[in-house]
Amino acid sequence: MVATAFSSLVAMETEEAQIARGLRRRDPDLLDALIEQYQHRLLRYLLHLTGNRATAEDLFQETWLRVLEKGHLYDGRNRFVTWLMSIAHNVAIDHLRKRNPSSLDEMRDPEDGAPFEPEASGPSPLDMAVARQEHEMFGAALSQVPPLFREVMVLRFQEQMKLEEIAKLVKIPVATVKTRIYRGVMALRPALKGSAQ
Amino acid sequence: MTNHEHERAIDLVTRRSVEEISAGDAGWLESHLALCAECAEFAGLIESTGQLLRSMAVTASPVLVATTQARVRARAEQLREHQARMVLIAVSFCIGVLSSTLSAWLWWMCGSWVAERIGLPASYVAPGVLLFWLLPAIVIALLMLVFAHPVVEKPALLRPAGDWGGKDR
Repeated sequence: MVATAFSSLVAMETEEAQIARGLRRRDPDLLDALIEQYQHRLLRYLLHLTGNRATAEDLFQETWLRVLEKGHLYDGRNRFVTWLMSIAHNVAIDHLRKRNPSSLDEMRDPEDGAPFEPEASGPSPLDMAVARQEHEMFGAALSQVPPLFREVMVLRFQEQMKLEEIAKLVKIPVATVKTRIYRGVMALRPALKGSAQ
Repeated sequence: MTNHEHERAIDLVTRRSVEEISAGDAGWLESHLALCAECAEFAGLIESTGQLLRSMAVTASPVLVATTQARVRARAEQLREHQARMVLIAVSFCIGVLSSTLSAWLWWMCGSWVAERIGLPASYVAPGVLLFWLLPAIVIALLMLVFAHPVVEKPALLRPAGDWGGKDR
């Protein structure tokens, strides 16, 4: 078991080191593969952060261009996904500053119509309908949560990142990460209670 | 129960959803949650939030991925060309400076000899030599200005006009 864990650790280090080397060379094949590999996770993060699909897709492209340009700064010692998300975070912040320098809360496009609606799936039409309704309610409630809280919740629950990783990525103390998760979850309480009933 | 106990419970509940907590902490947390309705509610909420968030499917469309890959490749090519041009300019500059420095003495002697031959005052020698000394670098700089900036087209607007599959656009 220890040997398996060690070999997987070595494999991970090798993979991260390979990515770092490829990024230093600006290897287009590596970048193609990375875009393929992390497409859904990155878009999901940006979508939850911005609350707007068009903006998220623009930022998705900008993030990869930034990865290309700043690739030499990735040293391969941390997980690539953490570094990628921190680039995406900075791209989103820059985007916000260009549009409106006030706060992350402004990231939601006021002209954006319906909030982000997640796709639902289920084994039967009834289950699908119920699940869709729940997801719609949850998606609508989530879109009302301030992006600052939503961001850490997505990193925590979807990306399964440790609190320390999130703190490093968002450049805030761990205590603030915990507070944001707490407040974000509590903001969802009415929707969660509703879907439980 | 003290505030410290509630804070500890919330911290452990937040951590346990993703990270492992020690058996001692887990035991303490379970006993606390059995007694504290508020913390137990938070534990339930955080579990539901995690489940719902994980069940939300967000997919990037193939067009978005292809477009991004094309843009990244185009930008990589631009950066490579820029880098190659910068290397060329740096090498040319170094050669210019080196040749100018090596020939400085020769120009000085030559200038002095010419000035003596045609009867120019000695004060003309220094500016004349300086001009000849800098001449290679000036010529290279002028050539660079004329030829080293090919027209670099901006990457075409790669985003297609069609829909990307996003229904909430």
